[in-house]
Amino acid sequence: MDNETTFLGNVRIALGEAPRSERPKKMFPRLFASPDTAAILDKIRSRTVAGQDALVEIFREQAESLNLSTHIVQSFDEAADVVVELVRSKEPEFNHTKHVSMHDHPDITALQLWNRFTREAVTLHTTFGSDRQLKDKTIASFIGITAPEIGVADSATVIQLTQPGQPRSTSLLPSIHIALLQRKNLVADLNEAYALLREKSHLDSMVFISGPSKTADIEAQLVHGAHGPREMHLIVLAVPEAVDKETATPVAAVTESPEGS
Amino acid sequence: MNSHPHSTYREDAQKGIDSPRLQKSLHNLQNRFGKGAMDIWAHLEDREMRRRVKKARMKNFDHLDILLAELASNVRARGGKVYFAKTARDAIDYTLEVAKKNQVKRVVKGKSMLSMEIDIDPALEGEGIEVVETDLGEYIIQLGGDKPSHIIAPCIHLDRNQIGELFTEKLGIDFTNDPPTLTMAARKALREKMLGADMGLTGCNLACAETGQISLVSNEGNIRMATTIPPVHVALMGMERIVATLEEHRETLQLLTRAAALQKLSTYVSFLGGPTGQTDSDGPKEFHLVIIDNGRSKILADPEFREVLACIRCGACLNICPVYGQIGGHAYNSPYCGPIGAVISPLLDGINKHADLCKGETLCGACKEICPVQIDLPRMLAALRHKLAYGSDRWNTSQHNPAEAYGFTLWRLLVTRSAFYRAFIKIGRFFQRPFVRKNKMISKMAGIGSGWTKGRDLPPIAKKTFTELWEEKYGKEKPAPPTAREEENNG
Repeated sequence: MDNETTFLGNVRIALGEAPRSERPKKMFPRLFASPDTAAILDKIRSRTVAGQDALVEIFREQAESLNLSTHIVQSFDEAADVVVELVRSKEPEFNHTKHVSMHDHPDITALQLWNRFTREAVTLHTTFGSDRQLKDKTIASFIGITAPEIGVADSATVIQLTQPGQPRSTSLLPSIHIALLQRKNLVADLNEAYALLREKSHLDSMVFISGPSKTADIEAQLVHGAHGPREMHLIVLAVPEAVDKETATPVAAVTESPEGS
Repeated sequence: MNSHPHSTYREDAQKGIDSPRLQKSLHNLQNRFGKGAMDIWAHLEDREMRRRVKKARMKNFDHLDILLAELASNVRARGGKVYFAKTARDAIDYTLEVAKKNQVKRVVKGKSMLSMEIDIDPALEGEGIEVVETDLGEYIIQLGGDKPSHIIAPCIHLDRNQIGELFTEKLGIDFTNDPPTLTMAARKALREKMLGADMGLTGCNLACAETGQISLVSNEGNIRMATTIPPVHVALMGMERIVATLEEHRETLQLLTRAAALQKLSTYVSFLGGPTGQTDSDGPKEFHLVIIDNGRSKILADPEFREVLACIRCGACLNICPVYGQIGGHAYNSPYCGPIGAVISPLLDGINKHADLCKGETLCGACKEICPVQIDLPRMLAALRHKLAYGSDRWNTSQHNPAEAYGFTLWRLLVTRSAFYRAFIKIGRFFQRPFVRKNKMISKMAGIGSGWTKGRDLPPIAKKTFTELWEEKYGKEKPAPPTAREEENNG
């Protein structure tokens, strides 16, 4: 602690303040003052399905230039179809067996992928917090599936929070990252996203992801797959409006408390 | 700090100018990123954004002690460790201690300018620890035992053939100059290094005091690797890289990624606020935040230079600077090159030692125009020249070139006394004769004048000065009323 006192004392000297008298933050209420986000949150919550669809379209457009493929589906079944097609058509990069890691998330569970690979050798792993072999399984996986909390249309970004059963490496170590996002979790821009994040700022870590890993360090030529995934897919789950009220609501209720396990 | 008795600025600058390969890369870089950033600023919807962020940066400096204390307490609340390092040595010692305690054998680095500033690699290697750069550009630089020449694009001075040869030699792959193939080779090699690393060492782009999280941007994902896989993460943070609130964070981040690489956001933005929780399955077990002064409080204390601390290290000023665009980054002989380096390197590491940097810049103002937070670098470059011309106790700076100072004193005496000045011109006219070439220019001068004509011709002193011509034409008689045109010219 002692070097901290000296260090901050030094800063105060530089600012022309008394070095030894700590300045309590209470005396500077405006320093941490934030604009009221209630209006922004209200805007997000009252967005119509048509408004959300417009955001999906903006996301898709932005994503294209980032080499992020967007798949818009109307049901969990369709979403599972997209995943199955990717698992079947892509080849592993670092080994010869097809392992898939997926977050412990109700939306991903709802895909029922275990039921899909009956004829081919595909091993599915769920990243349960209690799994001690999780690191090795993730390293072995060529596809990682996550269900990010928030999508940002303006910059084609998904925001992945680190939570129990949803480790950081699932969207990082596998060669292909598939993110599953419910349409209602899409917001317009970072301004809206940060308003939502204010409630999540207690978390140890989170990451914004906007497309596959890339580098341009050799003669400024763009290459995908520097360290992270070389390919990224976003599946937007957009249940049609009429059905939305009946089937999607219970799912949404589950999503809000992912600590179910 | 080791002092260089002889600056290599001129020689290195000349090498840069003479390299067609470097000229081509720099031209492409500036053409794309320099122009691109100016274009983004011109079309920025929120016209006040840059000014607002700058204002917030400056306001935060006034309260820096409070913000740093708040950041530290929030990181500690999550179980992270915070260490305040006054000097580079303190930061190195602390990091070494953490490494030893955890029996670290290999450190993987996320790109960090500050790690270069404090020169931590040799200290780690001295303890027998393997240090691996993971940013592709920095990795290439490390493999070649080279030095980075751009803040964001470290190996801009190398072309694909050189990198191909380097990879053949160091990684044992068949020669190729195909960037995707080369990148994949590095991906494989570095993945192994990262999966078996004991410590991740990164910088910090921006810390947020109210949330107690640091954030790091990257496109490659190397920083995510370095902060996810190894059991220990040490983040080095310059004490000025802090914002108070999430709102400030959002705006500053958006300026950073736009200015650095014309992106709305970099591919990855990691927010890290402590070690992995008990319920999380991966991430580091230990998180150490090292907040570093290393000369920054001295800059903070000087109102003339405090503004430079607002820099968010985007590198945009390099992408527009006409001097950097000609000489490249190596001539600056410092971790920070370009216009920002020409101000920050002398302030952190000695104004006399880096005297050539501020003198080499042109004061054209382009760096201020492109800077996302509109830092007045030209003003500070001029201020540094002032320190060099007159010396400064505050900055422990001696008069850089007393002979030059005498020269200018003489010149002042001369030009303020017209009789002497005219006599001097006449003498000059006589002595310049042997130097005037066929093109009626002086292309070579002798002695101390030789530097003036090294890269350009000088026009000789005219046969008759303007005053002499005037005397000749109008001096004897009363001047005729001037024609309208002449009046215009004279006015």
